[in-house]
Amino acid sequence: MKNRLKVLRAERDWTQAQLADALNVSRQTINAIETGKFDPSLPLAFRAARLFGLRIEEIFHDQDDPDRQHETKINP
Amino acid sequence: MNQLQPPEDGYESRVRTRVVQLFRWSGLWAATCALMAIGPKFLWNGVLAFTLLAIGLNLCVGIRTIVANKRYFEELDDLQRKVHLNSLAITVGVAMIVGVPYSVMASYRLIPFHADASHLVVIMALTYGASNLYGTWRYR
Repeated sequence: MKNRLKVLRAERDWTQAQLADALNVSRQTINAIETGKFDPSLPLAFRAARLFGLRIEEIFHDQDDPDRQHETKINP
Repeated sequence: MNQLQPPEDGYESRVRTRVVQLFRWSGLWAATCALMAIGPKFLWNGVLAFTLLAIGLNLCVGIRTIVANKRYFEELDDLQRKVHLNSLAITVGVAMIVGVPYSVMASYRLIPFHADASHLVVIMALTYGASNLYGTWRYR
């Protein structure tokens, strides 16, 4: 699963620690999600969506989803 | 900069509290284990009532330690739980894989020393610790 967490965080000038505090998780978890080593649970994905004011699919998407393949190619 | 207000009782602080509680109960449990082991011989000269009392105390503190461990797990986030779950899976596997042959070897006297259940506990503790370190490193 791919995600835009790092981009969204950078746009708001938040540190990983600040985002971790806001989402009630460890900084290590934020880092693991951003680097694609760990996929968040649904409740955590919902919390992230609520925090950024976006829908879940605007933050997280399946890398095998054919509808999103072109986005990956354009913005790898 | 869009500032985030950190929660008053953040994740790290809550986990730290649970870790301290778990360490306290684990320490107390270890102390009651020692009391149970050395008490009958060195402290109350084999008086059965005191020995039973020490065993009862050890069980009660042991149950409280399990509760503290459960609460610690409940406080962890998704990733930390995954790391601990992987560690537990590896530890249970190692305990089975090592424990059964160890028991067979002990029954056929193939081990040059006295086989003891505590050896298995040490192996489980070391396996759990090593798996946890590996998990933490893997998702660092």
